[in-house]
Amino acid sequence: MMEELLRLEHVSFTYEGGVEHRPALADCSVSIAPGERVAVLGGNGAGKSTFFLLANGVLRPGEGTVFFRGEAVGGKRRDLNRLRRGVGLVFQDPDVQILGGTVEEEISFGPMNLGLSQEEVRRRVDGAVEQLRLENLRHRAPQYLSGGEKKRVSIADALAMEPELLLLDEPAASLDPENCRLLEQTLETLGERGLALAVATHDVDFAWRWAERILAFHDGRLIADRTPEAFFSDTALLDACRLAQPMLLRAARAVGLCPLPRTVEDFEQAVLERRGQRGETE
Amino acid sequence: MITGVLAALVLFGLCAGAMPAGAAAALGILAGAALWIFGRHSHGGVLVIDVYARRSRYFAWSPALKTAACVLLLILCVVSPTSWVPLALALILAALTVAGGGITPRDYLALLSFPAVFLLLSGLALLWDYAPAGDGVLAVPFWNGWLVVTAAAQARARLVTARALGAVSCLYFLSLSTTLPEILAVLRRAHVPQVMTELAILIYRYLFVLLSAYGAMKDAAASRLGYSGFARSIRTTGAVYGNLLSSSFRRSGACFDAMESRCYDGEIRFLQREKPVTLPAALLLGGLAAAAAAGTLLAVRSCG
Repeated sequence: MMEELLRLEHVSFTYEGGVEHRPALADCSVSIAPGERVAVLGGNGAGKSTFFLLANGVLRPGEGTVFFRGEAVGGKRRDLNRLRRGVGLVFQDPDVQILGGTVEEEISFGPMNLGLSQEEVRRRVDGAVEQLRLENLRHRAPQYLSGGEKKRVSIADALAMEPELLLLDEPAASLDPENCRLLEQTLETLGERGLALAVATHDVDFAWRWAERILAFHDGRLIADRTPEAFFSDTALLDACRLAQPMLLRAARAVGLCPLPRTVEDFEQAVLERRGQRGETE
Repeated sequence: MITGVLAALVLFGLCAGAMPAGAAAALGILAGAALWIFGRHSHGGVLVIDVYARRSRYFAWSPALKTAACVLLLILCVVSPTSWVPLALALILAALTVAGGGITPRDYLALLSFPAVFLLLSGLALLWDYAPAGDGVLAVPFWNGWLVVTAAAQARARLVTARALGAVSCLYFLSLSTTLPEILAVLRRAHVPQVMTELAILIYRYLFVLLSAYGAMKDAAASRLGYSGFARSIRTTGAVYGNLLSSSFRRSGACFDAMESRCYDGEIRFLQREKPVTLPAALLLGGLAAAAAAGTLLAVRSCG
């Protein structure tokens, strides 16, 4: 069996005073392995954020159990902190997260809560600052930073906890194209270091080029857990989720490429190769 | 404008009798005009103070030293039996703040005009008294009697106003060179109850969140002509405040979740950047405190 990091078993959750007491997440069972790259798709209110909050231990499941590294997570503070330390969560709105007076202070909040020594906290803060290229902003007040910078600070916040799985809730929301590109680069490097990543997104093109697994939520239910190829080939499923096919996939299908290219570069390469072959046969 | 008129009235009341009436009036009008002209120029209050603090040359000084010196000077201001020590302190600290703080005199005056309103109102109340007989430095007939300024009231008002001015300058020196999180860290080390410091951190943090939410809502309302006409402005303002309340409730929930997700255990701690006590800082602030203490002692001895 595959090594597992996080597992949710038949987890349901209903918000108090929610609309007609409809569960925000119903009977969700899923397992995430170390180093996986997962794209979490679904419309607004589909249950993505609730899923993340449950996976991070901020919300406690109404029914079902969350397992972290094979151990069930109970309601005790120690259990919850074990989960919150192992699974980092980057909120959609960085302003919700930011608390410190300087970027450095802000990043240190999590590690300080873990009761680490000053030197260890400093080491982790330095590490997170370096990974997200925040060196120049170190002593600035996070309140005054731009949207893209704030996003980087909020990712550093979670990284300083040194998690094994990082959850990002719509990280590209309200970022400009340049910052989106930087964000993807960051995700790439984090993935290369063996960190498991789960990214909630509406961008199917991004999911197609980046993810190795797709989780799709609809109406509080996990309705698909597949590889990107399987998921985006199922047009009935895509319609049900109100999602479009990735542009690259459609283009590759139109020219009849196999295997399907994941990036524009792969696509160009494949097209060029085919042209070359055609030239030889003529 | 209120500040200007108030300043003119209070200064005139304070100085009347001590110098020719014409000079007192001129002084009052001059000060009032200065406050009126410069006091109008202000943007964003709290936010600005924070920006100045980060820009200040004293920002690199040890916050503990600054806070301790400020508290000491504040106490000296309040216990001083003459108005000269607090007045001198106010002038020196204002000069220091302006010289080293990267803040223009104009902006400093503008910031000063916020507390000045309260200060001047209380000065006015201290100066004027209602009496059946019109004997005093100044007297105005009023409703079967007289509104009078007696010499004793004048002395009292001078002292209180000077003390308050000195105290405000002390606090401005601190807050225009030290960010609130730093001051709070010092207070925490001084064993001020944690509930207070943590509440202050949260309030400080939410000030920014609330202000930006308020700004966005106000702009959105203005873009739909929500502030055209007096009655509509009032209605819109009410609606914005109401919305601000509900949205800040929702927001505080989300913020608490975000803190929980980073293992918040009921205590807010940050890594502190070390700012050691430096010699120039210690010499300057220590010298200032010593001079103020000596002045106060001298004054106490000559009074007693």
